Amino acid sequence: MSQWIRAGLRTGIKTTAYPAAPETAPGVSPGLPVGGPHPRDEIAGLIARCPTGAISAGDAGAVVDARRCVHSYRCRRGVATPLEWAQGYEWAIRGPTDDPRRRLGPAFRRSAHVIVVDAGDCGACLNEVKQLAGPYYNMHRLGLFLTPTPRHADVLLVVGPVTDHMRVALLKTWEAMPTPKRVLAVGTCALSGGVFGPSFVAEGGVASVLPVDVEVPGQPPPPLAILHGLLTAVGRAPAGVGR
Amino acid sequence: MTSAELHARIAERWPGLVHCRTDAATSLCEVTASPGVLADLCGLLFLDWGLAFAGMIVEEGTTQWELRYVFHGDRRTGWVHVLVHGPVTEGTFPSIVRTVHAADWHEREAEDLFGLVFEGHPSLGDFVLHDDAWQEGVEPMRRAFSARTPMSERRPNTDWRPPRIVQAPGAFAMPIGPVFAGQHESVHFLLETVGEDVIHAIPRLFYKYRAVEKLAEQRPIDHVLPLAERFAATTAFAHALGFCHAVETIAGAEVPDRARLLRVFLAELERLRHHAGAIAAICESTALGVAASQASILEEELLRVSGALTGHRYLFGLAVPGGLATDLDDGGCRDALGRCRDTSARLDRLEHMLQTSSSFLDRLEEVGPITDRDAWVFGLVGPIARASALPRDLRVLQPYDAYEHLAVRVPSEREGDGYARLRVLFAEARESLRLMEQALAAVAAGAVAAPIRVRPGAALGWVEAPRGAAFHWVRLADDGVVARYRIVPPSFVNWHGFSLGVENFAFQDFPIILATLDLSVAENDR
Amino acid sequence: MSAFTAWLAAVGTLCGAGIVLGIALPARHAPRVIALLGMLAGLATLGLGAHALGGAPAATAIWTIPAVGDVVLHADALSALFLLVTGVVIFAVSIFIATSLPPILRTYSGHAFAGLYFGLVASVVWILVAGDVFSFFVAWEVMSIVSYLLVLFEHEQEENRRAGYLMLAMSEAGALAALLGLLLLAAHAGSQDFARMRAAAPTLDGDVRLAILLLTLFGFGVKAGLVPVNAWLPRAYTAAPAPFVPVLAGATLNLGLYGIFRVNADLVSPTSVLPGVVTLVVGTLSALLGILYATTDGDLKTLLAHSSIENAGIITAGFGAGLVFAAAGRPVLSSIAFLVALYHLVNHALFKTLLFVSAGAVEQRAGTRDLDRLGGLVRRMPWTALVTLVGVLSIAAMPPFNGFVSEWLTLQTLLRSAELTSVGVKVIFALCGAGLALTAALAVTCFAKVFAMGFLGMARSAEADEAREAHPSAIASMTLLGLLCVVLGMLPTYVIGLLDVAVAPIARASAAAALVPPFFAGSAGHDTLPSTFLGEFHDLGAQVGEGLAPGPGLVILHRGGAANPVVFAAAPTYLGLVLAALLLAVLGVVAGVLARRRAVVRRECWDGGIRRLLPEMTYTATGFANPVRVIFHAVFRPTIVEDTRTTVAEHFRTAIRRETVAAHIVDRLVVEPGRALTTGIAYQLARMHHGRLNAYVAYVLLSLVIVIAVFAWR
Repeated sequence: MSQWIRAGLRTGIKTTAYPAAPETAPGVSPGLPVGGPHPRDEIAGLIARCPTGAISAGDAGAVVDARRCVHSYRCRRGVATPLEWAQGYEWAIRGPTDDPRRRLGPAFRRSAHVIVVDAGDCGACLNEVKQLAGPYYNMHRLGLFLTPTPRHADVLLVVGPVTDHMRVALLKTWEAMPTPKRVLAVGTCALSGGVFGPSFVAEGGVASVLPVDVEVPGQPPPPLAILHGLLTAVGRAPAGVGR
Repeated sequence: MTSAELHARIAERWPGLVHCRTDAATSLCEVTASPGVLADLCGLLFLDWGLAFAGMIVEEGTTQWELRYVFHGDRRTGWVHVLVHGPVTEGTFPSIVRTVHAADWHEREAEDLFGLVFEGHPSLGDFVLHDDAWQEGVEPMRRAFSARTPMSERRPNTDWRPPRIVQAPGAFAMPIGPVFAGQHESVHFLLETVGEDVIHAIPRLFYKYRAVEKLAEQRPIDHVLPLAERFAATTAFAHALGFCHAVETIAGAEVPDRARLLRVFLAELERLRHHAGAIAAICESTALGVAASQASILEEELLRVSGALTGHRYLFGLAVPGGLATDLDDGGCRDALGRCRDTSARLDRLEHMLQTSSSFLDRLEEVGPITDRDAWVFGLVGPIARASALPRDLRVLQPYDAYEHLAVRVPSEREGDGYARLRVLFAEARESLRLMEQALAAVAAGAVAAPIRVRPGAALGWVEAPRGAAFHWVRLADDGVVARYRIVPPSFVNWHGFSLGVENFAFQDFPIILATLDLSVAENDR
Repeated sequence: MSAFTAWLAAVGTLCGAGIVLGIALPARHAPRVIALLGMLAGLATLGLGAHALGGAPAATAIWTIPAVGDVVLHADALSALFLLVTGVVIFAVSIFIATSLPPILRTYSGHAFAGLYFGLVASVVWILVAGDVFSFFVAWEVMSIVSYLLVLFEHEQEENRRAGYLMLAMSEAGALAALLGLLLLAAHAGSQDFARMRAAAPTLDGDVRLAILLLTLFGFGVKAGLVPVNAWLPRAYTAAPAPFVPVLAGATLNLGLYGIFRVNADLVSPTSVLPGVVTLVVGTLSALLGILYATTDGDLKTLLAHSSIENAGIITAGFGAGLVFAAAGRPVLSSIAFLVALYHLVNHALFKTLLFVSAGAVEQRAGTRDLDRLGGLVRRMPWTALVTLVGVLSIAAMPPFNGFVSEWLTLQTLLRSAELTSVGVKVIFALCGAGLALTAALAVTCFAKVFAMGFLGMARSAEADEAREAHPSAIASMTLLGLLCVVLGMLPTYVIGLLDVAVAPIARASAAAALVPPFFAGSAGHDTLPSTFLGEFHDLGAQVGEGLAPGPGLVILHRGGAANPVVFAAAPTYLGLVLAALLLAVLGVVAGVLARRRAVVRRECWDGGIRRLLPEMTYTATGFANPVRVIFHAVFRPTIVEDTRTTVAEHFRTAIRRETVAAHIVDRLVVEPGRALTTGIAYQLARMHHGRLNAYVAYVLLSLVIVIAVFAWR
């Protein structure tokens, strides 16, 4: 057993400094399109290339609905002018039914339990959530814990477009949670259905089933973005104001 | 046996009842058989001649059903497609499960989604569409069914009860899931027990059924490629490659050498990262915290390497029919390889430490054993098959991209228990690094994509995904849209073999068995 | 006629009236007749016992049988105690009979039941007041035969008949053994009168004492349910009809223990430790085996029968400890041990009768006794569930109920072996103490299983789902017994005082004086307590209740010498009051404070999100007890009857069938070898019965020759 102790001590501390300081290591985020000024004649081409219709034309140029972006990178590759993307990871926005009266109180800022419900996720969002509990991100130092039972949970983290078969399970999990509780929808599939929904077996996101408080776009959102979403849900980080 | 010999022997065995057509260039032997000889023919191919069963593909034509049973051997033997037809108004076919047990779930899925009847199959019903959520007679894969319109009237069977296998006084079935652990996928288990040991475990899958095959129909190729990439995103690049191979075969495209080698580089990078994650999951399941953390560190580093090199941590948006969507910088590739070398060395150190931790090995040895005969009969694939003395690997048997020029060594173990599967994962991770080295050493400047001229046709694309052999069947219609997209993912095949490893075990071994089998629910459910 | 004979006559008249009216009136009136007259007979028995407890009446010889002796009737304090217990049980069960008997009378005769029932009551009372061997045994035989007839009352079922036959055979064997023991004593005393036997006992030989102990322990032990002569008990209790089983468990089981007590503590006072040690070991073994089989049994009645074996074992173990202490010259400890054994006997009679009435009510309403098919009854039968909970908590020895007091005292008394000198005896006491502690733990498991699987959770069968609340008479009967359980648990010092009247003359020392210190001012002996001791305990609150409650105090405390002032102490009264206060406080806080500020929502049990939680997904009683079955595999030794896998096409698993069967360890180790030996000998003897006349003539000649030779030699 002592070999494990030595190995652990030798490895040192790998944890990111976020949220105290920004994380700058390469490969921590795939980036997100932000749109902005763009040559008018190329916008139509961009709109056609996007597989989920996340791009539309606006007054200022190309407007991007980040909730629909599936990271196909077609607006950057094989085009004359690539669409404007931003690195970074603080992507959490207020959900459509965010209600100031239904907030978690100050007691939860440094101690919140999260239950993860996989409502049809492809595996990538769930894998990123798994990384959050690992040494590089270590959500426990921020007082965030994963729990397998809804009776102890404060935040319901949903990934996936909500398949038909998981509807009842998701609703039961929500109903089994005691108040106060918040819903955090993670990933493009959970926000808009991504490439999968809506269809006869999948909803177009969690908002058609539950009241969503915080949304985190991305496919998948990197662990830091999910962490930002969780901190927003417990009131420690200001969210973007949404669309 | 070569394709020609296969052709000859089949034709002489059932003269008049089969019609063979062989294409020597692609080593494909297509046998159209009458329903009466189907089971025997498939049994001959699978049991006697030892071909692997890749899957069954159902296509609904305007006048007839076409069922295609795909078998394959090595490069010499090639592929055998057994075709059987029936009028589209009927849909009754003989079942081949008594000779090819590996076809069990393929027939159940076809019954559930197409409404076909397979005579002689002992347990049809309640598979993909849950009986307690959908009424009988919903056949979503039929042409007439619209994918985008939600069903208005639902009359589920509220009296449905799960099937039970154990009959003993006082036996009961403990339910687990679909929402159960901290970050496990949604799947339901019934653990049948008389109170101490679990006698049998019955999984219930398809809680995550997203009908990817249906969504792909009547869509252009560049709308189906994201579906192929994203239905099982932890092995996204491999599945995208499978789809691309099929389209390239239909279009007759020649992928440039640089693209082939870079594809190998990226596929092995994905395999290395996936195996690090699987090892982390096994350590986590045995609650060996430091080892789980060490492996988790390696997985995150590989994710960052992937993200820094290609822009996306899971390699989305790279594989396109004809090559790669964008070129990779050689210097960036060399940096990535250097970081992978370092990661692989630390993986080897981790393996050595685990092999000297007897309390860890105690929890893995003889847990969830699958015999070599069972693995063969069920047609298991991937690392778990290799741990049960079934060392099949498509990179060796049917090389694609640049694999035929690289030396691929396939590890194999005999015991078939949790520890054997762990050893195979470590060995494959080492092999992946070696292949990355070879690929990068051989790569030269050049184009990374060839143009694709879409034309109608159908072809099978295959790839050795990190979890095992994956097959993608694509049929393109006249206007270049996908008419039929069939995916046989490795997890679909291996979940079928799950019941082999879960008999008579202690309850606390259940998470360990799940972790060592490394089964993906998203990949199975599509 | 004295008050004693008047009470006795009252009991006899009521029983007689019960028999006559039961036979004369139409059968449909039988339940009400039995109920009414049974309640009155119970009250009369209570009165008889109370009277006898008040002052020991003189022995009355009512008849003289030539060549045998006098038929004497005598009730000392020990008999009085047993009469009190019997009276309460008969009273409570008679209430229950009013509604549990009619379903049985559809097939069987009400006249017969009435006659047998009152015959049983009369014979039980007669056994307890018998003062000589002859009347004791006549009453014993009547009781045995009447019990046998009542056990196989539902005689159309084969297994009931077989159970009854086994019971009769073993009862008779036991009765003969006990008779032999008593006759040894009578032969030594030259009279069959108990008083003269008691007087002559001190001059008995050590070997004869041991023989008497063994004969009466295993002879009376048949009725009490001691290992290894209890093979009949689980089968007979399961076979007996629901109205009768509570009497079997609450009244007749005590008679076996009465016989053991009477002979070995009262008539023959112990001089060597060996009889006591044997009794202690037999008691501990009975307790362990009883509770092991109870924990793993799925039939409610059989489970309770095995639990009766367990409790009889605990009582016998306490009694054995008392015999050892008496032989070792520690009369106070011996008195405490006897008192503790009797306390447990009284408690057991109360909670076991309660549980058997509950089992009868559940079977009547839910249609099944199988715990694997019950469940959810707390919603369908809430009152039954509540009083059964009281019984379950009592038998599992939870404070503040009565089982806690007697089990705790039993274990504490066994710990007093520290005051003995012989190392071997101390080791045996330690092992037996550990065995009884294990028994207590298993008892909690067993009865948690009974209540949780039987009453809580989901109903596992359609009949359990449709159960209705039990009839008010059953609930009344159980409530009475439950209240007594609570009273005997909350006011143990009074019970100790009462039991001391019975035990002190036998052990020749007062247990109450050693167990209940006079903390209340004004009680006898208050001034003899050292003031520092008194002060410390007054600080702890030992005088709470002074002036309100009569008696010396509410604290059980055994004092040692100066080095060890408090050997053991407990205050169940205060404990019960504090627990009740805490419970009310919590309920008050929740209802008054928390519930006001929040909405209270009732939700489903969390089941992982599945669409429907089915009863077959919940734990069964077999599953709950399986770990015990696995750990104690060496005791159960199940044999696999079936372990098959049915497959279709070699790989489709359709069924895995497993079934095991296990023979009881006593059957395996004692009964089966005994049966094999007996039949072997019988077979050998049968070979002589071959029917050839010539050989028989030869046998006669041979015996004649032997007899002549023997006499010639003399």
